[in-house]
Amino acid sequence: MITALVLGLVAFIAQSEYALGTSLISRPIVTGLLTGIVMGDIKTGLVMGATLELAFIGVFSVGASIPPNVVVGGILGVAFAISSGAGTETALLLGLPIATLALVFENLYLGLALPIFLHKADRYAEEANTRGITFMHLLGGFGMSLMIGSIVAISYYVGGDAVSKVLEAIPGPVQTGLEVATGLIPALGFAMLARLLINKQVVPYFFLGFLIVAYLEIPITGIALLGAIIAVVIVGITQKQTLATNEGGVEDDDEDF
Amino acid sequence: MTTKTSEENNQVEMVPELSKKDLNSLFWRSFQMEFSWNYERQASLAYVYAMLPILKKLYKNKEDLSRALKRHLEFFNTTPHIVTMILGISAAMEKQNAEDPKFDESSINTVKASLMGPLAGIGDSFFWGTLRLIATGIGTSLALQGNILGPILFLLVFNVPHIVLRYILTGLGYKMGTGFLRKLQEKGTMGNLTLGASILGLIVIGGMSADMIILNVPLTIGSGDTATPVQEILDGILPGLLPLAAFGIIYWLLGKEVKATTLLIGIALVSILGTWTGIFG
Repeated sequence: MITALVLGLVAFIAQSEYALGTSLISRPIVTGLLTGIVMGDIKTGLVMGATLELAFIGVFSVGASIPPNVVVGGILGVAFAISSGAGTETALLLGLPIATLALVFENLYLGLALPIFLHKADRYAEEANTRGITFMHLLGGFGMSLMIGSIVAISYYVGGDAVSKVLEAIPGPVQTGLEVATGLIPALGFAMLARLLINKQVVPYFFLGFLIVAYLEIPITGIALLGAIIAVVIVGITQKQTLATNEGGVEDDDEDF
Repeated sequence: MTTKTSEENNQVEMVPELSKKDLNSLFWRSFQMEFSWNYERQASLAYVYAMLPILKKLYKNKEDLSRALKRHLEFFNTTPHIVTMILGISAAMEKQNAEDPKFDESSINTVKASLMGPLAGIGDSFFWGTLRLIATGIGTSLALQGNILGPILFLLVFNVPHIVLRYILTGLGYKMGTGFLRKLQEKGTMGNLTLGASILGLIVIGGMSADMIILNVPLTIGSGDTATPVQEILDGILPGLLPLAAFGIIYWLLGKEVKATTLLIGIALVSILGTWTGIFG
């Protein structure tokens, strides 16, 4: 009971990252640690959180798209996996569908409840009532955090036993298969990100990064620093080229779609 | 009233200067840019919330204030981490509007609307693609070993540059007013920023793909003493050949408009099938 409430509180705080500069405290790598602390197994929380983070790496909101809820998925996935004594693949197996399920509630709130506050704010704007507008903004935001917190607390309280029973019923080969899947799922996130950034001009840099790490086994911090230097150099060269072509009066427009 | 009359050259009623304190409140309030995000007008309510103290200071007249509030309740959305740039510009324009009765009020929203797209283009690819990815790479590689520094570094790597930029852009947006982004676009600086961010992002994605996508084959060719593990042969061709192939297939399927959820289920099924038949492990 108390665990459920504390987990709900963790979810409330994590969801409130939107009041804290979208600072990524809602991500599984962070909530995994916090959930691990609550469940009394920090190390497992860290490992599961990081695994979920990689699985959810393609899950983030670009523009107006709302992705599966990583707060609910991350916290409940890790909490259930620890409480049932199962492995990391279980956190993944549970976290992904739970996040998608929570998205239904989130969408209802963002699509139906918040616009009600917004329309109220419209009326306050008419009367130049600034306190009313402030109240609507805060009510809308904290309402969301409260809803997410409650979903986590209630699900954990109700679902613990049911989840362990379902997990016990899963046959062995499926479990090992899912373990293999945890190694493959990051590929989905990376591919989604690559789609966001790629155009003809920059395709080779993906392979450059891949080969450097595959052959030299440099840690990611190293590859990030190397990448920054390469980016600066290439931008410098391109800049010179564009200036040169512009002086020649030729418009070099290689925009890609 | 003991206001100094050094600025009498403007033949208008007294409009208070916006101080450092006002811009700071803009900066702090901007942290809530996605708090009341909704499907109807997205970040609009939060935008008004951020502008409130400044609008209240500029417009003493209830009617003017009401018009300004309604103006900023119009649709708005951009990358939240750098929204302060547009907020700063809006603040500068609101001030001119309050001073000059001939100021074209509608231009405030036109500038907002024309900036949010390009800024989101750069911001989304830099913050979500590049910076978050670097933070994830560093954070997860530590956390996977059970190191508590993982999540801490994850947050620091992302948020130190984020908050510094958010702060700098508040003042910059206010100072440069409207002409700034147009100038950037003319010089091609926007294009260069996007290019640099994509190069860095892709190198890191490539590196992480090699490091974090894991797929092994336990099969062997031949038998007895001459048995060679298939994995060894594959590694001889290219270390990480299978992860690269997995990435390639998924990338290609995404291009065919296959949904991420479908792919996720597909990955699970293929893994289970592969393990069951003994190809993967």
